[in-house]
Amino acid sequence: MDVSQYLEIFIDETKEHLQSLNTQILDLEQDSENADTINEIFRAAHSLKGMAGTMGYKRMQNLTHDMENVFSEVRNGNIKVKANMIDILFQCLDALEEYLDNIQTTADEGTNDNEPLIKALNRILDGDDSGASEEVTAEEPAAREVRSVPGEGAKWTTVVLGDSERTVIQKAMEQGKKVYGLTVYVQESCILKAARAFLVFKAMESLGEIIVSSPSAQDIEDEQFENDFSIFVLSDRTLEDVIAAAESVSEIERAVGGLLDLSQAPTGQAAGTEEPEREEPAAKADMEKDVPVSAPVNLSAAKSERTVSVDPVEKAAEKLEETTTVQETQPASAASSKHEKKAAANKPVVNRTVRVDIEKLDSLMNLVSELIIAKNSLVSISATSSSDASASSAFNEQIEYLESVTTNLHESVMKVRMVPIESVVQKFPRMIRDLQKKLNKKMELYMSGEETELDRTVVDEIGDPLMHLLRNAADHGLESAELRKERGKPATGSIHLDAYQDGNNVIIEVSDDGGGINVAGVKEKAINRGVITPEQAENMSDKDIVNLLFLPSFSTAEKVTDVSGRGVGLDVVKSKIEALSGEVDVKTKFGEGSTWTIRLPLTLAIIQALMVVVGDEKYAISLGSIETIENITGHDIKYVQAKEVINLRGSVIPLIRLDDMLDIRKERGNDDNLVVVIVRKGDKQAGLVVDELIGQQEIVIKSLGKYINKCKFISGATILGDGEVALILDANAMF
Amino acid sequence: MDELKLNAAYVTDSDEDDYVAPQITQFIVVKFGEEQYGIDIKYVDNIVRMQHITRVPKVSNYIKGVINLRGEVVPVMSVRLKMDLADDVETKATRIIILKLEQHCNIGILVDEVKEVVNLEESQIERVSYEAKDDKSNFIYGIGKYDGGLISLLDLNTVALDKEAVS
Repeated sequence: MDVSQYLEIFIDETKEHLQSLNTQILDLEQDSENADTINEIFRAAHSLKGMAGTMGYKRMQNLTHDMENVFSEVRNGNIKVKANMIDILFQCLDALEEYLDNIQTTADEGTNDNEPLIKALNRILDGDDSGASEEVTAEEPAAREVRSVPGEGAKWTTVVLGDSERTVIQKAMEQGKKVYGLTVYVQESCILKAARAFLVFKAMESLGEIIVSSPSAQDIEDEQFENDFSIFVLSDRTLEDVIAAAESVSEIERAVGGLLDLSQAPTGQAAGTEEPEREEPAAKADMEKDVPVSAPVNLSAAKSERTVSVDPVEKAAEKLEETTTVQETQPASAASSKHEKKAAANKPVVNRTVRVDIEKLDSLMNLVSELIIAKNSLVSISATSSSDASASSAFNEQIEYLESVTTNLHESVMKVRMVPIESVVQKFPRMIRDLQKKLNKKMELYMSGEETELDRTVVDEIGDPLMHLLRNAADHGLESAELRKERGKPATGSIHLDAYQDGNNVIIEVSDDGGGINVAGVKEKAINRGVITPEQAENMSDKDIVNLLFLPSFSTAEKVTDVSGRGVGLDVVKSKIEALSGEVDVKTKFGEGSTWTIRLPLTLAIIQALMVVVGDEKYAISLGSIETIENITGHDIKYVQAKEVINLRGSVIPLIRLDDMLDIRKERGNDDNLVVVIVRKGDKQAGLVVDELIGQQEIVIKSLGKYINKCKFISGATILGDGEVALILDANAMF
Repeated sequence: MDELKLNAAYVTDSDEDDYVAPQITQFIVVKFGEEQYGIDIKYVDNIVRMQHITRVPKVSNYIKGVINLRGEVVPVMSVRLKMDLADDVETKATRIIILKLEQHCNIGILVDEVKEVVNLEESQIERVSYEAKDDKSNFIYGIGKYDGGLISLLDLNTVALDKEAVS
């Protein structure tokens, strides 16, 4: 059954389910008796299982099946929710996300069986939760060990190999092929064991060549074996692949195997650690050796072209999944082209879809139809333009109507692109919980304004910087429990994440009630690093010192942990935010906490702007940043620290002479009547001196392209009605 | 990398009808002062007459500004200033050649005069070895010989993109 067409839907829905599971398990932690939450979780797990099964992802299906079992018991009241269960559940979610990532990159779920997790889940089911919170983090190596430890029924290790068989195996190994020993256990309830064994053989043949089997192939066909048989497979594939292929046959209980190590004879241990050494000499072997088993070798040689990367990669256990999934997709059934496309692309397939409210689409439809009506009436007017007077007035009317319709249309389309930041921030509570455990500090995350909307592209990019700021707050900001006690703060640190709209911008604030930024410490570190000289440090305000934190590789952390401390994060945060035409700022009070503010513009291609004239050039200033427009005389200009300022109704506002900023040569006439445009950025104000005002206009922002991105004040250009180009001033960049 | 693209045009790409040596590259011959230069036609989007250029403050001196090209805002630079020649003088013959160098990345260059289009074979082009010292010579990757004389073939990537390194 070709399920590739459902792949996108599957990825989307799985993501949603996983996200909701995350939130709900968090809720469950707080309130472990809540029947609704438990039901929701059970349903989500059940749906996931169904979807995974339909798409053919067996491992995912198994894991969710076990999760579902656990939840079914909880639902029936047979098991109580305990702390370690929550931990294991979260690990399961992580494993599922891992599968999903694999699916996204390579359309296959990968080979991680997550055996320890499944075992843990089963233990819970058996009511044995005294196993505490077993850290099943090292799942992959653990899984591999399970496979290669011969103790657990790896009967193949006891098979005696005849001389000719040994020679064959030897030659194959010298050529760099891998020989695995495999013991396959058939389910006890299986009736047609021979048929199952035959299927296993077939599966093995597709991966490589079976050299030896014990009992002999004939005996197996005659069902002369109990419940298990052992085989030696020559293959280029990985051990996991081979075992997986064997286990994928129905009614096969399990398969145990390992890399064959001839030197240790029939009782050979798994040559897991010896793999690297073997690979080196084997790889150098002469490929033209004449081998009795030439047929399978040729087959493997042919395959080796495709699998050349496997050998060196074998050394790195982590890389296993990538190569095996690449190979697994090739023999996979239909839609292989799609799989290969996904396998080839190493970048994850980012799904570029947006969920849109039906209402938004409806209003869009309405506006487009109104547009058509306006167009029609214009057409009819132009066709029947009799006397100028009546025609032109009707014309104007229609033009006005057209104007309002297009503005509304633009707004609607923009709204469609807007996505609430909820989707980004909802994974933060979970992260804080994990950090809490890791850093051993109690902390609580308070979020507000999740419904604030941002353009979709911005939302995608903002996740990382926010995460980093939160981690900083948790790691550097919040003090340890003792310190907090000394300072008289509550034991649980609080981190606030607030988002709201402010004029033309969206503001996101991350604040903590931790220790604040130690300005003196930063200063010292900067001097030590040679970033600034002690004299410079004297002259720098606190604000400047704090801004040093944004420099690359700057960190006051004593040591590097995997949470932070490398000095890389803030620099990346700043550059990412600036790439979105935003700004990041920090306010801090030593001992009390810090607040990091991110300011982002609502991306608009059309803005309301004020057209001004400076010199003889026209410029546009976005209306959103403008507070007021004032007329001042030369007398109002005072000088503070050699800079011009004015005293406007009590507040002192610095003046910025645009003709200077923009290199416009102009004779400064008498300053009798100056037009000053007061702009605001957050809580700072400035006055821009212009020569003349033209008026308000709706303009379309055109980008200047990459060749002219040096000038910070110019954020774009627009084309005026008469064809002239006017530059758009970015008031925020001027102060 | 883009230099490879330029050179790839001269890589053997057999043309069935052409039993003679392959690769005829077309160049637009332009004049800066008395010298003739050639621009590979595959980079040329279109050529427009001189029009009002809106100055952009605080950019490198060879960026003249921007123009409105049928609704698009296109930056315009002066090759003369880039090559340290005298500044452009606007005449009736002055043209702006719009080049498309990368995806969606148009840039216009001012030229004194556009003369003609010539077809040059590989044999008529003499490569110039790169001397890293003289900045100016890096803009030229070869000399083309034809009836009308010699044309210096402009390497557009250095002409347009080098600015990042300079400024």
